[in-house]
Amino acid sequence: MPKCTINGKEVEVKEGTSIIKAMVDSGERIAHYCWHDGLSVAGVCRLCMVEIEGNPRVQIACNTTITEGMKINNTSDKVRDAVKWGLDFHLINHPLDCPICDQAGECGLQDQYMEYGKYDPEMAEHKQKKHKVVDLGPTVVLDSERCILCSRCVRFTEEVSKTNELGIFNRGDRSEIGTHDGLELNNKYSLNTVDICPVGALTSKDFRFRQRVWYLKDAETVCNGCSTGCNIKAYYNREGFFRVKPSYNEKVNGHWMCDEGRDVYKFVNQEHRLLKAQVRGAAGWTEMAAGAAAKKASEVLKAAAADSIALVLTAQYTVEEYDAIVSTFVNEFKTKKIFFWINNKESFDEFDGLLIRGDKNPNTKGLLKVLEKHGITATWNELSAGLASGSVKTVVVAGPENQAVFKDFAERAKELSKAQNLIWLQAGKNEALMSLTGNVWLIPTKTFVEKDGTFINFAGLEQKFKKVTTVVSEALTLTEASLLMAGKNLAIPTAAQPFMPNNQRVDQVELEARKKNEFVFRRGSL
Amino acid sequence: MSEVKVLTEFYHLPEFQTLAGYKAKGGYETLPKALKMQPQAIIDEVKASGLRGRGGAGFPTGMKWGFLPKNGEPRYLLCNADEGEPGTFKDRMMMERAPHQLIEGMIISAFAVGSNKGYIYVRGEYVYPIECLYKALKEAYDAGLLGKNILGSGFDFDLDVYRGAGAYICGEETGMISSLEGLKGQPKLKPPFPAVQGYLRKPTIVNNVETLAAVTYIVRDGAATYRKHGTEKSAGTKLFSLSGNVMKPGNYEVPLGYPLMDLIMKEGGGMKPGRRLKAVIPGGSSAPVLTAEEVGKANLDYESLAGLGTMLGSGAVIVIDDSQCMVDMLGVLSHFYAHESCGQCTPCREGTGWLNKILHSILEGRGRLQDIDLLIKVADNMKGKTICALSDAAALPVLSFVTKFRDEFEFYVREGRSKVKGTTYAEMHH
Repeated sequence: MPKCTINGKEVEVKEGTSIIKAMVDSGERIAHYCWHDGLSVAGVCRLCMVEIEGNPRVQIACNTTITEGMKINNTSDKVRDAVKWGLDFHLINHPLDCPICDQAGECGLQDQYMEYGKYDPEMAEHKQKKHKVVDLGPTVVLDSERCILCSRCVRFTEEVSKTNELGIFNRGDRSEIGTHDGLELNNKYSLNTVDICPVGALTSKDFRFRQRVWYLKDAETVCNGCSTGCNIKAYYNREGFFRVKPSYNEKVNGHWMCDEGRDVYKFVNQEHRLLKAQVRGAAGWTEMAAGAAAKKASEVLKAAAADSIALVLTAQYTVEEYDAIVSTFVNEFKTKKIFFWINNKESFDEFDGLLIRGDKNPNTKGLLKVLEKHGITATWNELSAGLASGSVKTVVVAGPENQAVFKDFAERAKELSKAQNLIWLQAGKNEALMSLTGNVWLIPTKTFVEKDGTFINFAGLEQKFKKVTTVVSEALTLTEASLLMAGKNLAIPTAAQPFMPNNQRVDQVELEARKKNEFVFRRGSL
Repeated sequence: MSEVKVLTEFYHLPEFQTLAGYKAKGGYETLPKALKMQPQAIIDEVKASGLRGRGGAGFPTGMKWGFLPKNGEPRYLLCNADEGEPGTFKDRMMMERAPHQLIEGMIISAFAVGSNKGYIYVRGEYVYPIECLYKALKEAYDAGLLGKNILGSGFDFDLDVYRGAGAYICGEETGMISSLEGLKGQPKLKPPFPAVQGYLRKPTIVNNVETLAAVTYIVRDGAATYRKHGTEKSAGTKLFSLSGNVMKPGNYEVPLGYPLMDLIMKEGGGMKPGRRLKAVIPGGSSAPVLTAEEVGKANLDYESLAGLGTMLGSGAVIVIDDSQCMVDMLGVLSHFYAHESCGQCTPCREGTGWLNKILHSILEGRGRLQDIDLLIKVADNMKGKTICALSDAAALPVLSFVTKFRDEFEFYVREGRSKVKGTTYAEMHH
């Protein structure tokens, strides 16, 4: 364990640690573009310069391993000057189109310029012309002029996705990123290249031009796309969610996440959601507040005989919710007819070797644990038989949040609608549910970003996450719904907040923030 | 003092190119002797001879060999014949006139460092030298000088020629290794150094044609004899490629420490009638230029030239007389480096292009006076900041040209035409 001094601070590091890693880990500021903790060392941006005592030349920190007693500093004038010029070399051919660039606000060039900018551009020549809107594949667009050729994306496709689509073509200041002949950037992890691109060269087709990043807040949560449980950052504002990015967790996903997981924000947004409860009786569908609908459902459940009630659960809710709803059914309704709706049993154990798993539920382990705790052993066949024979009359379903991975959705919904009363709790809208007949309660639930909870991933790792924000304020968690259905009273919202068009913001907190940026918000009325 | 022919003694004989001709002049007589020696003894002899890399960097050859790990790992011996430094053409002549000299030197060197596989990496434009090498390799294989159990010694060595595609950067040893591996010719980060992890991540020694050829003579005559020529720190003889405005351009083998002015005036036959010496680039285009006054003080050895702020480099002496426009020449050089930068490291990729653009703005009459200082600033900040030395190679000529001939640059900016030639860029080139 060599000890070294970084900017006067004693640091002890593991054998073989590079200077840059030690500096980043100990919170020292060090400019860098090409170095990425999850990739090999390229040593090409030449920004992470440090001075090592006893060495007259400045060194790059990414390719220098710390040895015992090394004295490192990156605050001297010599280093600052080297970084300043290094940054200027990055910028001389950069188009500086920040006002129309999606990366603006989270751009490595902008960030470093604040500290190491020359603020006196000396480049008076014509800039290099390169390809602008290069369609690399189904997910990513390249602007070669913005590219600083750090080679992170190339190394990603070589080392992580191992798909080798990208390369750097041509030489010198004509160099450009591109795809090899006959290939397009099309792999299950392609959008990671956009995350690791320190500038606006690679942009996501899904996200580009949709929001300026300074209008977005972010919060950490856990992806509910599959049983891996990648840690993610979700980006949102009053208009909804706009994107997710991976968040580093050594134990789960490292630095990366899959492209499929990038879509999890979509079914969270209002346009895909059940905003109010829909209750179908003899007179057809009526709309009511979610809490009120759950209350009404409790009357049906109370009246039903214990052995005619069944509960169907998908593995898309939190451990806490399962605990609450299963206890309610076992203790209040005295039924153990609780069933696990498995969406794709045959591919449950598939794994692509990196992150993607065949079990497209975030919390299968969590659900199984709760079921085991309550001694539930019922199988779907028993439910089918009960429905066919008519002995199961009232069914409560906690439907999937991510309906896309439930291919059997319509079929199962049809089967379950054989019950006299079908109480369906779910976050998203669905045509199949709206076409059901009989007594149906459709009660909106909260999605994974709207509640605190725990997912247990494929490996049995418990991951707790916090609520990010509220999208449908009226929606209930399974816990709330089960308490309401058991006849308890809760201080829950019963009147819906009106759906707000994009340009309306009524939130007071937002108003405070708005005052700071008057121009942006007044622009519409000028 | 004058020319001393050690390597080039029989270069005037056309038959020296063939195995028979080479053998007739004592060729392949050192090899059996060497194969009976202890490899370490050869390395020690080379160390004692003071032989330094003839490709440009001038690194002591024996010391380089000593960096190889002392284990049984397979290792490679690569000959760098990607002679790309503008002004250099000595390796070309060596491969054309005496391919067997190189092959013998490589077999002995391979035996010394314990390598069983070698490649000669030749630049793509060298069509004829490659032909000569192929012929010579065939002869050597047929005569049992290459392949399994060479001359019954039990030592195996396979040698092959690899034809590069003509990139300057592939003359940089790690760039060459990348190219040989089938990758884009880009230098690799050091450490690890090639001696530890080079070609195919195995220990690798890369030496210049002239260096490897000299090994035979060191083993034949002993280090002491080799050291008779040259200076204390720059031992032996070296080939110099003399070009530019002299009467008799060509390759000359002289002992290191030979006065530069003598090479130009005696061997080179002096300046063209009525012309005066203005400047000399002593070690290939990457070496800082010397003024006529400095040339008088310069000796052709590593130390003397370093003392004058320049370098011996590959031994390409480019002579510039008073009819040449320094601005125009630097424009040509900077275009070369901008074209040849591999584009990996930012300061070099962007800097070479920037220098080239500034110089061409000046040449085309759009120059501003502050551009002259900007050239110096940009070049200064490219120096020592990159993986390989190409960035320095691009920066050093700019720094030396602009500081030593500033008046020509200032005149060009003010008048929009060359001070020496009196013409504009368009007039000079069309």
